[in-house]
Amino acid sequence: MKRTLLGRLDAWAINVGIALTALRTNLMRSILTTLGVMIGVFAVTLAVAVGSGAKVSVMESIDALGSNMAIVFPQPDGEGGRSSFDRGRLTLRDARAIERSIAGVSATGPQLRSSVQLVAASRRASTTAIGATSGYASVAGIGAEVGRFIGEADVRSGARVAVLGPTVARKLFGSFDPVGEAFRIDRVPFTVVGVLEPKGSSFGNDNDNVIIVPITTARARFSNALPGPDDLHLLYVGFEDGTDLERAKREMTRLLRSRYSVAPREVQPFTIRTTAEFIEESSQVTAIFQSVLVAIASISLLVGGIGIMNIMLVSVTERTREIGLRMALGAKRRDIRNQFLVEAAILCVIGGAIGLLLAIAAATAFSVYADFPAEVGAGVGAGAILFSAVTGILFGGYPALRASRLSPIDALRSE
Amino acid sequence: MIRPLVEARDLAKSYRVGEETVHALRGVSVTLETGEFVAIMGASGSGKSTFMNMVGCLDVPSAGALLVDGVETGAMSSDSLAELRNRTIGFVFQQFNLLARTSALDNVAVPLIYAGVAPAERRERARAKLEAMGLGDRLDHSPAKLSGGQQQRVAIARALVTEPKILLADEPTGALDSATSDEIMRIFQQRNDEGITIVLVTHEADIARYARRRILFRDGRIITDEPVTDRMVAA
Repeated sequence: MKRTLLGRLDAWAINVGIALTALRTNLMRSILTTLGVMIGVFAVTLAVAVGSGAKVSVMESIDALGSNMAIVFPQPDGEGGRSSFDRGRLTLRDARAIERSIAGVSATGPQLRSSVQLVAASRRASTTAIGATSGYASVAGIGAEVGRFIGEADVRSGARVAVLGPTVARKLFGSFDPVGEAFRIDRVPFTVVGVLEPKGSSFGNDNDNVIIVPITTARARFSNALPGPDDLHLLYVGFEDGTDLERAKREMTRLLRSRYSVAPREVQPFTIRTTAEFIEESSQVTAIFQSVLVAIASISLLVGGIGIMNIMLVSVTERTREIGLRMALGAKRRDIRNQFLVEAAILCVIGGAIGLLLAIAAATAFSVYADFPAEVGAGVGAGAILFSAVTGILFGGYPALRASRLSPIDALRSE
Repeated sequence: MIRPLVEARDLAKSYRVGEETVHALRGVSVTLETGEFVAIMGASGSGKSTFMNMVGCLDVPSAGALLVDGVETGAMSSDSLAELRNRTIGFVFQQFNLLARTSALDNVAVPLIYAGVAPAERRERARAKLEAMGLGDRLDHSPAKLSGGQQQRVAIARALVTEPKILLADEPTGALDSATSDEIMRIFQQRNDEGITIVLVTHEADIARYARRRILFRDGRIITDEPVTDRMVAA
């Protein structure tokens, strides 16, 4: 007997009806069973959301660096080989050499970094002071929202001026416009010349809790624990759009190695990382992070699935007589199989839907209260529902198959 | 030539129970014609239930041949047997076997689901059968709210809803008092008068008297097969 499409839809609708009746009959048992799947789907969905949130967060912090740049650290770098450099070197002269002889460099941002205590009137704040040049603004993709940035004249004269990050400005001056106001760093008076555009935070790290002062001022006034009078903590190198970063990195490496007379196969006293490498490395890290999270969460879904299988086996045993009756009345094996598959799938989908809603709520709470961009996308949501249905069919499959293989006589005679 | 509705030739059935082989049927040959009302009798273990399971296409023979409505059941797949049952056989059981928490109407409609009948027609046909059983005002009642006799009438309506050729009743009055039994047997006689073939399995001689033909099983064989001479006609 061929069944029409409408007939098939009707058959599924009937199975849904039978399933709902059966689930209502054992309401408490159904709720407890579905709880397992609910927790499983909640865990998996949240793991995916947290994983992609971490990805977004990393990308945001890389974006905050500026998209087309390299960072040079005074830190020994190299595989194997002997080293005559027990500590790294990087100087302002290196920065100038890079700016002069590497093609595509738009600007360099040499930096000194120190932890400082600020005092303005009765208010205090502790923050990181970045000693920078005027080039830093364009390389790091930042600028003053109010007032101005550090200028070349400030750097030349070692002026006691500072640009405040929004967080520092708020801590020291509240809602007042701080431009032109005075404050002290370790008893040394400074004048505020501008406030930075807000950058937000990444990984719970407040990018706005910072001040920028001329690099010459930082060298003269703050302790830096560097080996020479020309040494740097960090060098940002900005490139013009369309520059081949890999090639630029090779050229910079060659230039700096020759400046420090590093022999072939010898460890060099500096490390160069480009934004392209950061993106690649961090996406690998976040992918691993996400896989581990999802793998752990999947275990709870597996446990939920086993619960489904257990209860479906009980349900098949309890309803053996009903199965026999349905077979006597003309139900084929697939009718019986589908009936129990639908029941398992409904259990799972209800659990999955509740788990998904809880995961959405948790992800929202994360992004609102913890400032972490966890988000359950439409695709993830649909995937979660689909996945729960698949769980139902997978774990309900064996009990359903067992029900469909019963002999009608034995089934009718049971009890 | 009119072919018989059920034709058994040298029908045998054996089961293996552990190391032993149990011979439930040892060569049964019998024909049931359309329109007959046959009582199958015998003690438990006589083979009457095995015979009934085979006529009901719930089981297939180990040897010999069984034709139901002209079809040889021995080599059929479980799905084909299911279709044959659905189309040809209506079952009535001792314990009614109605689905709990399901209305009388939905209970009666179950065989039509497996016949692939559309929902609206299912309801209409189920309602018509229940009304014919005098249960027109109990359509929405669940089995728990019906008396034993009413439940058995719902079960009969379910057995008849697919317009089968054979009504197979296994101890249909076993759970009912004598007045209600008489009422149920009257329904069977009325349906039989309308032309449906009835196979009634019972161990009660009184109940067998409602039939027209009596077949007695013992040790897997038919030992008597005779017309009912002292036929009882329900009040």
